[in-house]
Amino acid sequence: MAKMDKKWVILCTTAIGVIYSAGYLSTEEQAALQEPQHHINSNIQSVSSQVKSQYKNGTFDGAGSNRRGSIEVKVTINHDKITDVEISRFAMHYSKNDVVGLPQEVIQKQSAKVQNVSGATYSTQAFQDAIEAALTQARNV
Amino acid sequence: MVQIVKKSKLMMDTVIEIKVVTSRSPLDIEPVIEQAFNAFRKVEQACSRFTPESELMKACQQIRTPVPISSWLFQPLKFALEMAEWTQGIFDPTIGKTLEMYGFNQHYLTKEIASSLAVDDTSYRDVILNDHDRTMTLNRPLVIDLGAVAKGFAIDLAAQVLTSFQGFVINAGGDLYAGGLDETGHAWQIGIQHPEQANHIIDSIHVTNEAVCTSGSYVRRSKVREDIHHIINPISKQSPHELTSCSIVAPYAMMADVCSTVVCLYGLEQGKRMINDMELKGILITSNLHVERVGGI
Repeated sequence: MAKMDKKWVILCTTAIGVIYSAGYLSTEEQAALQEPQHHINSNIQSVSSQVKSQYKNGTFDGAGSNRRGSIEVKVTINHDKITDVEISRFAMHYSKNDVVGLPQEVIQKQSAKVQNVSGATYSTQAFQDAIEAALTQARNV
Repeated sequence: MVQIVKKSKLMMDTVIEIKVVTSRSPLDIEPVIEQAFNAFRKVEQACSRFTPESELMKACQQIRTPVPISSWLFQPLKFALEMAEWTQGIFDPTIGKTLEMYGFNQHYLTKEIASSLAVDDTSYRDVILNDHDRTMTLNRPLVIDLGAVAKGFAIDLAAQVLTSFQGFVINAGGDLYAGGLDETGHAWQIGIQHPEQANHIIDSIHVTNEAVCTSGSYVRRSKVREDIHHIINPISKQSPHELTSCSIVAPYAMMADVCSTVVCLYGLEQGKRMINDMELKGILITSNLHVERVGGI
């Protein structure tokens, strides 16, 4: 059974090695880097000359909020596809209802001290409003 | 001066945060971080079951025909199938159709609903990978879900990109890899999220050059069936409830990711045996919030 450990490690190293040594991550990223950089520099609304596209190409800001706070996103669109969603500002707080029974100071101390948390996946529901706001801006009228 | 540089993006239906500890200039750092994010982008484009345009969904259109697939899809799929075989199908990546039926089928950006013409009584034996010509052959129409491996794979690839920094953490919605040391020169402290109280931690550990992945029954729940969350036993089609949270510490995120899912499916006793067999470490939390540390952490 102890051999099993090695088997999984080998599978992982091989998997990573195949991608990395083939240079996929280093060559393709050249092109990928130029793009967002360019979009951020030119900032909002670089209008596409395409005729039928639903959205303009470029990077658009959107904000959304719920009872836990607010978030801001930068949505990059290329040929009607969302290619990148960067979270530019994240100011979410958990309401007292979520942490009922715990002294507020303890929670604050813990979250201030421990910045890396492993846990179940966040729901991205909270981001939908922000993304939609950005898409509204991006819409070709 | 040593500083922390952070960037977050929304990818793979989750928040991906990358932070690095470095004294290099921002102009130097940003392209490398962007390159690490690109690993997530590439894996998502290859492995997503939520969009018909992914390599996975396109490849699944053909039945009984060998379809050539790229390493971005081949490698995580191979890993998932090996684990399926080792667990005799308790873990099974062909669970996709069942997940669709329980309502786990909406794309997080486009809101597109995936609904495939597939059957749900499939097994990992219906997927054949050929190592020599890098092809996949499906015996029957089915939906492959790589949810338990793809994110881990992307984390591992991103970690490769960031190794030149003195320290870094890639946190993909609670599944993470911590490389090197933190800004104070110590091992990274990783909190384990409390299953019932958001923003509160139940335990914490210190790691360096290791992944910590957590599977929990407490966040993604079915909108169709109350007792179902996103981890489902392929044989009984039920969700396990003995453990509410399984965190696994492993040298690779792909290992930690898949093992946290398998341990969650196995339950406490068999889960502990698996962690020991694989010489890993874990923190298991039962539904009555009993915390059990396994493997000497």
